[in-house]
Amino acid sequence: MGRQKEEPLFNRIEQARAARGLSRQQLADAVGVHYQTIGYLERGEYSPSLSLALRMAQALQLDVQALFSIQPFHED
Amino acid sequence: MNDRKPRRFYWFEGVTRDEIERGLNDTRPSALRRQAPRRQLVVATAFMTAALAVSIFIPQVKLQSYVEIALLAGILIAYFMLRKSVRLVSDAPDELLDERQIAVRNAAYTVAYRALSAISFPYMALVLLIAPEGALSGYAIPGTWSSVLLSYLMCCASLPAMVLAWRLPDEPAPMAH
Repeated sequence: MGRQKEEPLFNRIEQARAARGLSRQQLADAVGVHYQTIGYLERGEYSPSLSLALRMAQALQLDVQALFSIQPFHED
Repeated sequence: MNDRKPRRFYWFEGVTRDEIERGLNDTRPSALRRQAPRRQLVVATAFMTAALAVSIFIPQVKLQSYVEIALLAGILIAYFMLRKSVRLVSDAPDELLDERQIAVRNAAYTVAYRALSAISFPYMALVLLIAPEGALSGYAIPGTWSSVLLSYLMCCASLPAMVLAWRLPDEPAPMAH
């Protein structure tokens, strides 16, 4: 069976990071990835592994569902 | 745990830990951080590599030698620029990369391998075309073939970085708030 075209993964990393006053570099250091990876994640150009998603949620003190969704987020 | 020796040399990849870490953490501005200039570099590399292979058709031996040397120098410069433009991700061992970098590098190698398989046919055709009758059954490789062989070798060496440089989007800024 062929692989389906990857579904977009929406996220609120940038908003959560900005709310905590973190730079991409600081968040990257906290979760153990390169700062560019944070940038690509924020732009939706890379979908993280479950492990990285959980580490990011922990670093940003949010539930993983509050950070990532397969549906677009409706901003309050 | 990882061996933290900065001078550690990775023999299979041909790079040092220090070299990779400097490449990955380089925050100096460069045109090669953007996709468009990187793609121009890829096109230039591909053009020079192809030109090196067909330079065997230049009839004057002296001129052919000069063109071959100039193109080879250009390809070597482009090769090192390509590696730098992708922050050596194409050559780095897994332990120095994060999960996204490993994923994009592996995807680039898959595409590069397929591309190399396809590119091998024109090279083979070129060798058959220029080979004097009976030469392929002998052991000696005529000197005029050197540019074809060098072109193919540089193609093999550059393709992963070329694919990666072509596919990577513009780099995000490190300190964005």
